[in-house]
Amino acid sequence: MRVSDNPGRVVPELDERFTPVSFLRRHSREIGLPLIVLLMVVVFSISSDVFLSAPNFRNIGVSAAALAAVSFGQTFAILTAGLDLSVGSIVALVSIVGALVMRSHGIPAGILAALATGAAVGLVNGIVITRFKVFPFIATLAMMSVVSGLALSLSGGVAVTGVPTAFGDLAYQRILEIPVPVIMAAAVLVVAFLVLRYTRLGRRIFAVGGNEEAARLSGIEVGRIKLAAYMMSGICAAVGSIILTARVASGQPSLGATLPLESVAAVVLGGISLFGGRGSIIGVAFGVLFISILSNGLNLLNVPSYTQMMLIGAALILAVALDQGFGGGRAGRGH
Amino acid sequence: MTSPPASEMTGGERAQPSAVVSLSHIAKTYPGVRALRDVSLDLRRGEVHALIGENGAGKSTLIRVLSGDVQPDAGSVSIDGTPVVLASPLDARKRGIVTIFQELMIVPELSVAENIFLGNEPLAFGLYSRRETEQRTREVLRTLVRDSGIRPGQRAAELSTAQKQLVEIARALVFRASVSVRDEPTAALSEGEAVSLRRLILRLRSEGVAILFVSHRLGEVMEIADRITVLRGGEHIATLDAASISNTDELIGLMVGRPMTELFPPRNENIGEVVLRAEGLSRAGAFEDVSFTVRSGEVVGFAGLVGAGRTEAMRGLFGAEKLDSGRIFKGSVELNIRSPRDAIAAGIAYLPEDRKDQGLVLSMSGTENIGMVSLGDYCAAGVLSWRSLRNTAARAAQQLQFRGQLGAPASNASGGNQQKLVIAKWTLAGADILIFDEPTRGIDVGAKAEVYRLIHRLAGEGAAIIVVSSEIPELLNICHRIYTMSGGRVRDEIEQPDFSERRILAGAFAAHMGMGSAQPTEIGL
Repeated sequence: MRVSDNPGRVVPELDERFTPVSFLRRHSREIGLPLIVLLMVVVFSISSDVFLSAPNFRNIGVSAAALAAVSFGQTFAILTAGLDLSVGSIVALVSIVGALVMRSHGIPAGILAALATGAAVGLVNGIVITRFKVFPFIATLAMMSVVSGLALSLSGGVAVTGVPTAFGDLAYQRILEIPVPVIMAAAVLVVAFLVLRYTRLGRRIFAVGGNEEAARLSGIEVGRIKLAAYMMSGICAAVGSIILTARVASGQPSLGATLPLESVAAVVLGGISLFGGRGSIIGVAFGVLFISILSNGLNLLNVPSYTQMMLIGAALILAVALDQGFGGGRAGRGH
Repeated sequence: MTSPPASEMTGGERAQPSAVVSLSHIAKTYPGVRALRDVSLDLRRGEVHALIGENGAGKSTLIRVLSGDVQPDAGSVSIDGTPVVLASPLDARKRGIVTIFQELMIVPELSVAENIFLGNEPLAFGLYSRRETEQRTREVLRTLVRDSGIRPGQRAAELSTAQKQLVEIARALVFRASVSVRDEPTAALSEGEAVSLRRLILRLRSEGVAILFVSHRLGEVMEIADRITVLRGGEHIATLDAASISNTDELIGLMVGRPMTELFPPRNENIGEVVLRAEGLSRAGAFEDVSFTVRSGEVVGFAGLVGAGRTEAMRGLFGAEKLDSGRIFKGSVELNIRSPRDAIAAGIAYLPEDRKDQGLVLSMSGTENIGMVSLGDYCAAGVLSWRSLRNTAARAAQQLQFRGQLGAPASNASGGNQQKLVIAKWTLAGADILIFDEPTRGIDVGAKAEVYRLIHRLAGEGAAIIVVSSEIPELLNICHRIYTMSGGRVRDEIEQPDFSERRILAGAFAAHMGMGSAQPTEIGL
C-alpha cells in the first residue's frame, strides 16, 4: 500500500516551468502511442515496398474498422471500471440476426435489427452487473457463453447465406476514395467522442469510474450510468458486426472470436485506465491503429499469424506494465 | 538490525541524549516543487519529537525520506552515528525505523496476531506456528494496555480504528523498533481515543524508542512532545524544547510565518425558523431514535466518539444508507428520501468525512468536481457547455478563495483546497441544508480558519448547517447548539451559552460505562 500522493499536494504553490522535457513527461501517455505508431509506419515502409501505398492503407483501414467500432464501445465499459468480454459473441449473434432479418425484410430492417440486438445484449449485461451485483468480469464472461450459444442455435451452427448483394458490396465501396467501413468506424468515433465529452452521460461515466461512492453521494444514479455504458458497448459491437458481416456477405456464428482480447488490448494500449475514469477515446483509436498496422506489416513481412497472436498478447502486457511503472503505481484503487 | 532498546537506559541516559537517527541537510525536489531544502533533524533515544507545519510544508516528504520510501537529492542519514542509505521501506524497517502511515497497514482478513507478526512470523520446526504467534501477541498486547479487549485470533477487520492503532504499535514493539515514525496518528480518532493513543506513545517512549510524529492537533503536541520541529515551505524553521513554549499561538505563528488573528470567526446572529426536523431516525445496530432540529442560519454540532452513530445517522438522513424508520421534514413538508438524489432534490448536501474516498473524484479536474451535482445547469439541449461550466466553477472557486489549479486533477489540491471544491460543488447545487462531516480533518490551521468562515458565511446567507466533529474545541467555538451522541442515541442537547467540554464528554461517554470490548474507548481507559 502506498501513502496518498503527498508530493502532489504542493503543486499549486509553484507553477511548473514549461520545458519540452516537462511537457513530454506530463503527456507521455497521450504522445507515447502515436509516436510508436508513427515509428512502426516508418519501419514497415523501409522493410516492405508494398506497405506505403494507398491500396495497402485502404486494406489496413478496412481490417481495422470492425475492431475500431468494437473498441470504442469497450471504452465505455472500461471507463466505468468495468469490462465487456461478451463483445465477440455479440458480433456473432448480431451477424446471424442481421443476416436472417435482412434476407427476409431488406437491408434497413436488418441493420436496425442488428443494432437492437447489440443494445439488448448490452442491456442484459448491464442488468446482471448492476441489479444482480455480478462482477463485470464474470457477468460478461458468462454472457459470452450464453450469447455465443444463442448465435449457434439460431443458425444451426452454419452460415446464414442469401444476404442481399448490395449489403455485401457495402464493405468494398468507397466514398471520396475512403472505404465505407472506415467511414462507419470514424462515425462511431465521432459520436463516442462527443458523447463522452459533451453530454451528462459521458461525464458521469468518468465520475462513476473515477470514484463510484463520490458519484453516488453527488446524486448520480450509478446503476443507470453503468447500464448505459454496457448498452453503448453492445451497440458499438453491433456496428462492428455489420462491417464484418458485409465483408463476408453472410451471417457467421463464429465471427469475432478474437475481439474480446483485441478490443481490451486496443483500449488499454490507448491509455484508458483499467481502474476506470481516466483516458481519452482518441488514444483508443491509436491503440486500434497499433494492432492493425502491426498485423498488416507483419503479414507483409510473411510473419505467421500465430506469431502475431503472441506479439499482440505481449504488447498488451507491456502496455499495462509501462502504465504501472510510469504512472507511479497510482492508477487507482482496485475494488 | 539495531540492538533492542534497553528500557533501563532511559532514566540515566536522559542527561546525555544520544541521537539514534540524524538527518542532515536533506533536500528533495519533485518536478516543479522544492519539497525540502536543507532540513536537519535528529531523534534521540526515548524522546517524543513532534513535526508540525502547514500542509505542503514538507512533513510528509521528510517522513518518507526517513522511512526509505523516498531518496533525498542531497544530505545524509545516519543511524547511531554511522551514515546509511535507506534504500527502501523494508531496508529502513530492518534498521529499526518503523513508520506507521496515516492509512493504517492492516490486512483486514488476517487475524490480529498474523498482522502483528506480518513479515516476521515466529516459526516452530521451520513451520508457521499459530499458537506461538497468538501467545506472543497476547504478551505484547498485555505490555501495552491492561485489557485491550482484542483477541489474538480475531479478524483485524472487526477492530475499531483505535484498536488498529494498538495493533500497529504492537508491531513496532515486536520489530524491536528503535525509531517509530507516525504520520498523523490521531487524525482519524475521536478525542477519547486520541487520549489513549497518546498514553501508548508515552509507553513506547519509556521503552527507549524514539518517536517522531506528525500532528495537526497542537494541544496534543504540547502535551506529549519533548521537542518540536517546525517546517514551513520545505525549510526547517525551528526545533524547540516543548517546555519552553507557553501556548499554541506561538507554534501557529511559527507554522504560518505570521501571527494568526483569529481561528474562529464570530457566529452568525440571524437565526430563523426550523428548516430541518428529523424524528426518530433508526437503523438497527447503528443508531436509534435520533431526533433533532436545525434552524435557518444555525450551526448545529454533533459531538461524540468515533462509532457513536453520528456519521451513520447523517448518511441515513441523506439517503446514502437505508433507514429502518424515522421521518424527515423540511419546514412543514415531509420528505421521502430513498437515495442521495432525493435528498439533493430537497436541497440537502452531505460533505463526507473522507473527502478523497467519498467527496471527490480525484482523477477529474477541480472544475468538473465543482460541477458534479449541478452538471445539468451547464447543458443546453443535452450538450454540455464547457465554457459555462468553467466560468461558473471559476467564479465559485474564487468566492471560496480556492488556491490551486481548477484544470488540474483534484488529487493535486491540498486538503483545505479539496474541501473548498466540495463546498463549491454543493453551493452550486443550491443546497440550503448542509451536513459537514469532520470538515477540518487533516487540514492545516490556516485552512481551518477559512473553512469556519465559509461555514458561517453560508449560515449568514440562511443555510441550515450541521457539523459532525470529533474535535470538541471546534464545536464549542463554531456552533449555536450541540447534540451529543453515544451508542447510537442522542444523549444531550446543549444551547450555546451553556456549552461546556465536561458536559459534552459526559454525553459522549454515556454509553461506554463498563461496556463490551467492541467499544473503541475501552483501550487504556
